[in-house]
Amino acid sequence: MDAIVEMIDVAKEFGRKQAVRNVSLAIARGSAVALLGPNGAGKTTSIAMMLGLLRPTRGQVRLLGGDPGSPRQHVRLGVMLQNVSVPDRLTVAETINLFRGFYPAPLPTLRLLSAAGLKDDARTMANRLSGGKMRRLQFALAMAGDPQALFLDEPTVGMDVTSRRQFWDELRGFIASGKTLLLTTHDLQEADMVADRVIVMNEGTIVADAPPERIKMEFGGRQLSFAAGPGVDLAQLNRLPDVLSVHTAGRKVTVRTTDSDALLRRLIQGEWDISDIQVTGAGLEDAFVRLTTEMGDHA
Amino acid sequence: MKAMFSQWKAELLRTARDRRFFLLTLGMPIAFYLIFINQQGGNVKIAGTFWGEYFMVSMAAFGVLGSSVNTLGVRLAAERKSGWVRFLRTTPLSSVGYALAKTLTQLTLSLFIVIVIFAVAHFSQNVDLAPVRWLEILAWLWLGSLPFAALGVLIGMAGNAAQVLGTLVYLVLSMLGGLMTPVQVLPKTMQQIARWMPTYHFARPAWNLLAGRSVQWSDVAILLAYSMLFIALAALMQRRVDSRPEE
Repeated sequence: MDAIVEMIDVAKEFGRKQAVRNVSLAIARGSAVALLGPNGAGKTTSIAMMLGLLRPTRGQVRLLGGDPGSPRQHVRLGVMLQNVSVPDRLTVAETINLFRGFYPAPLPTLRLLSAAGLKDDARTMANRLSGGKMRRLQFALAMAGDPQALFLDEPTVGMDVTSRRQFWDELRGFIASGKTLLLTTHDLQEADMVADRVIVMNEGTIVADAPPERIKMEFGGRQLSFAAGPGVDLAQLNRLPDVLSVHTAGRKVTVRTTDSDALLRRLIQGEWDISDIQVTGAGLEDAFVRLTTEMGDHA
Repeated sequence: MKAMFSQWKAELLRTARDRRFFLLTLGMPIAFYLIFINQQGGNVKIAGTFWGEYFMVSMAAFGVLGSSVNTLGVRLAAERKSGWVRFLRTTPLSSVGYALAKTLTQLTLSLFIVIVIFAVAHFSQNVDLAPVRWLEILAWLWLGSLPFAALGVLIGMAGNAAQVLGTLVYLVLSMLGGLMTPVQVLPKTMQQIARWMPTYHFARPAWNLLAGRSVQWSDVAILLAYSMLFIALAALMQRRVDSRPEE
């Protein structure tokens, strides 16, 4: 199988705390995957195991078919971690060149500077950059070796709106050229923007794994709202198939459904006394909140 | 190989911009040399050689010690704390490559420091040795600096305490090892203590070479033992660090 990363029944414990429990997943070459979840869900620990920074307590992790801890597996990889600051007394360009020296076929320095939007800061001391520019420098470092796969742990934390836009443009270009992306985020819009697959983690396990649209459909569902005439029996509405929940506000009724098409057809054919019909897709945000709170209720 | 060279180049560039390195690590032994020589006079005889030559070796050893525990140790501690070392582990630069680049940097700095101290002694006190003797002593002080690189790595594990610990080790090892005051003029107990100091066994072969004696294997053996102790302790601490959680 042509997988960038494979995790088989992986668990990681720190003392008595279980950070990751029985996670199995494979990330195919050329896919763009968002690892989504609240703080402490096990995203960072999972990425650390994929990169060989941590050894799993149980199970197996393979990176590009080999041992994640071996430096040879990192040649075609670009990485952004959280909480990293660069060494002192090196300029931005020198720091980039230091990294270029680690790879057999690095991208040109100028290309990296402009990808990160740091052309004007090439001669600035790297450790004096602002938070957002520091993050962009780290993106340049991740891109230094012309990677086949990017692993980004919360990449946009600390970036301002303009930086973010440029950053996502670069990333989309990267994905479009057939390369692999894995990013962790708790910004759902970001996941929705670039990922073709969303893996939701909570309390160390995978609670959902699907394309962003399916996640939205399955877990957020769609919303059907209409104005109900006097003959509408709300209790009966609740019993219809595909209906998840019904909310009323005066005559206005909002129904959350797993299949808006089927429900709409049923309502029309059943000659329900309704008007002003609207169908809207629920956001990934809703899906995410429901997913993580529902899972939390079990614990 | 290329990755290691890249790291080495960056380290030297950083050192060249490090004012602390020039003022303290290199400046102190030079200042001490000029001050203490003028107090005694360089032509006083000591241990089969002259004070000007003897103390040149002491200060070269002092400088090498300083760059290991201060420059290397403190910088390592900072790079570990800032997550940089962890970040480097995601690149093709292996841990071994990183360690080798640091060692290579340290050897380069040691060579530079020893040569500068030699030059200061040569031009201020007219210290003049046979070319072979210069080379012998240089080679010894250069290679003998390796155990102190290992000590620097160990101090680099100390995190926030590295700066204080480095300074403490710097002063204690140089005083107790007889680099400040010659062992011969110290009280008996202090002489006994000096025999256990790595700094003493680092400087003694060079003092012996000055007096026309050869390097003793016991000095080499003790320095090797110290190297292994420092590396073993560093490895032990590394394992403890690795088993801590992420967030």
